Amino acid sequence: MSARTDKPASRGAETGIEETVSSAVGAEPLPDDDRRPVPRVGPLAGIRVADFCWMGVGSVATRLLGDFGAEVIKIENRRRIDRPRLLPIYKGEARNYGEELADADPNRGGLHNNYSRNKLGITVDMKTKRGSELVDRLIAASSVVTENFAPGVMERWGLTYERLEELSPGVIYGRMSGFGHSGPHAHFKSYGPIVQAVSGLSFISGLPGREPSGWGLSYMDNQAAYYNSAALLMAILRRNKTGLGAEIDVSAVEVGISMLGPDLLDVSVNKAVTRRADFPYGNRLPGSGAAPHGVYPAAGEDRWVAIAVLGQDDWERFVRVLGEPEWAMAEEFRTQAARQANQDALDVHVSAWTRDKTPHEVMEVLQAAGVAAGAAQNAQDLNEVDPQLAERGTFFEMDHPVIGQARFEGTPIKFSRSVQQNWRSAPLLGEDNDHVYRHILGLSEDEVADLADEGVI
Amino acid sequence: MWDGPTGELTYSGLRVVELGHGTQGEIVGKLLADEGAEVIKVEPPGGVPGRRVGPFANDDPTNPDGSLHFWSYNTGKQSVVVDPDDHATRDALIASADVLITTDGPAELAHSGLDLEEIGERHPGLVLLSISPFGLTGPWRDWRTSDLVGLAAGGPLMSCGYDDHEIPPIRPGGNQGFQIAASFGHSGLLLALLERQATGLGQLVDVSMHEAIAVSGELANPYWFYPRVLLQRQTCRHAQPSPTQPALFECADGVSVYFALILSDARTWTTLVEWLDTLGLALDLGEEKYLALSCRQENFGYIQNIMESFFLMQDSTTVYEEAQRRGLPLGPVFAPEELFENVHLQERDFFVEVELPTGGDALFPASPYRFSYGNGRPGTPPRLGEHSASVLAEVGGGARG
Repeated sequence: MSARTDKPASRGAETGIEETVSSAVGAEPLPDDDRRPVPRVGPLAGIRVADFCWMGVGSVATRLLGDFGAEVIKIENRRRIDRPRLLPIYKGEARNYGEELADADPNRGGLHNNYSRNKLGITVDMKTKRGSELVDRLIAASSVVTENFAPGVMERWGLTYERLEELSPGVIYGRMSGFGHSGPHAHFKSYGPIVQAVSGLSFISGLPGREPSGWGLSYMDNQAAYYNSAALLMAILRRNKTGLGAEIDVSAVEVGISMLGPDLLDVSVNKAVTRRADFPYGNRLPGSGAAPHGVYPAAGEDRWVAIAVLGQDDWERFVRVLGEPEWAMAEEFRTQAARQANQDALDVHVSAWTRDKTPHEVMEVLQAAGVAAGAAQNAQDLNEVDPQLAERGTFFEMDHPVIGQARFEGTPIKFSRSVQQNWRSAPLLGEDNDHVYRHILGLSEDEVADLADEGVI
Repeated sequence: MWDGPTGELTYSGLRVVELGHGTQGEIVGKLLADEGAEVIKVEPPGGVPGRRVGPFANDDPTNPDGSLHFWSYNTGKQSVVVDPDDHATRDALIASADVLITTDGPAELAHSGLDLEEIGERHPGLVLLSISPFGLTGPWRDWRTSDLVGLAAGGPLMSCGYDDHEIPPIRPGGNQGFQIAASFGHSGLLLALLERQATGLGQLVDVSMHEAIAVSGELANPYWFYPRVLLQRQTCRHAQPSPTQPALFECADGVSVYFALILSDARTWTTLVEWLDTLGLALDLGEEKYLALSCRQENFGYIQNIMESFFLMQDSTTVYEEAQRRGLPLGPVFAPEELFENVHLQERDFFVEVELPTGGDALFPASPYRFSYGNGRPGTPPRLGEHSASVLAEVGGGARG
């Protein structure tokens, strides 16, 4: 095995940190005043990432690496602040995410805190010669480089895969973009909703005969990020065996298309046309026998509950929970085929039953009887009501010097062996300049001070 | 024991046994098979439930080998039929594997005679990947799910639907709840394989579909963590604390484009006005007063009306190319059939021909990531029991049809 471990490029690990690895594991909080980098543990310990990522996709993609032991160094530019730092998701202040404050504090944004915990943060101006030299040295001391700029930006800085391989033989270069790094639309601009539109994910979502309802979130920011995390881990897995690096090109649009599923194959195999009056299917599953299958009104304002009665056994259990009402015995609901054919009438009966119950009441009584049902939970439910997420410890908390105590979205996996090391909330802008430039790249205190004075970092 | 690729592809040489019938586990198996792993799909006589989910090839629901749902999530696997009571054959298959995938909660696993901890003790190098509806622990561990139920309980459903809140939230298409769980299953497995490279030890990776969806709602949780506000769903655009302008515009060819005008961006405004002017629709928007954000905000409805007319005068293809040429992020809401004609995707050879189990071939999406060292591609989805004889002969079990 030839697993590559990135060592400090200069005089050894002068981090000033004692080797107290075990105390830094898991949810064990560090003292609030100590934000100094700690030795990392986890399956990715020893891997240093020169991380040019920003916005949603890139920041979420490298988050998993930072969580599980990689030393992810987020490289930022003071003249072009990363949007999640500026989006107005603030404590005690409700603003739409397009309504940024003109003089927003880059250390106050909650989205950045959620995206970049467990990472280091440095600043550098790549337009200066000395800035670009510093980055070359950082790449030489790293074994993974990640970026999600518009195609061409890294090339303008001379940072091609060939150049990176010279600086750091065996490097893995993760390149994340909307359309990929080749093809006539490689330079097209995109963000989550555009990717969802162009990949077909929006079109296949909605009620028939209406405009698509699509997505109320940048789903593809998350999914493209997850696929990018996986691709980086795949290349690392291979390098550990072969010693060989890789360049990775992930197009978010292509990830989206790869997840369309059966609707896409219906077109390619059966030559179906989806731009038609009875497509898409809203909350129903035609051809599956599932009925009732939908989202039903519940007690409270804009409260809903999802019910999925998939087979005949499910139907019998469902009817028993309802107390075997007379309507359920009618011929029009007797078989799966009949129920699918008469779903409008069926849904009226089901809605009448759910309407005066809370979403959680319906979920509990149906699940207790073995019928799949889910309260349509909002974020308050997830954080304050849901006993499953509470018991699993899905969300965790850490302190932040500007924001204060904050919650974070954890990793939805329990490992019997691997550990997630939550060592610090997101870096302040340039918070780790001193640590990275002095202790990893070996600059003197005076040199770092000069670089700061001259606006290079 | 496998410690990395034995050939060109990342998962070459990796042996995976897929016991779970849940779509979320099937997707992970597919991702592994497409990049070179040997994925053995264990099916009961009659096949996994996914073989009976439509749509079907040639619209024929009677053929167990013709489900397009099954094809979507099972490319390149080997199908082996094992009687659920034949634990000896199942054990022999598990003993031959680097990775075991299951998708049931603990009660169902116990009902099937599967004790994951015990299997882990028996095979210390094995990575056991469990992707269950809610996770193997917690009060909801044995509750049932579906794609709709998962997206509802996990939160994203409340962000998706129409401006009109008399209409219930609408499930986005394509089994994305299962896809989210699968993405974490894939990454969790990779972390465990990396751990095994370093230590030689396997482990139990317990992925909860519910948790995976609950951390994938993008802005909904941060808006609760920080300002403690709930988001309101809107038609095909971001759920927000308060309503925003529509973002879908219909074009002359009947295809809509997505365009969210960020009023606060001065450069975007200038670009838009120049573009409107090319069809004589800039009207008074070029006047100096509109350079003030407040003026644009006060007249947003008027501006939207002009844009509606402007887009309706042109085909979506022209609008797409022209907007992007001017640096405006805008995209058509493509239907699946339009993707196969897309010049960009054609030039990237994104769709590849796959031989079908029912004969002939059809285009499937290729690998969603591209590695400079080599990329896999989807293989033919297996016919039911197609590989029973060869695989079971290898592990010494009894072959069935």
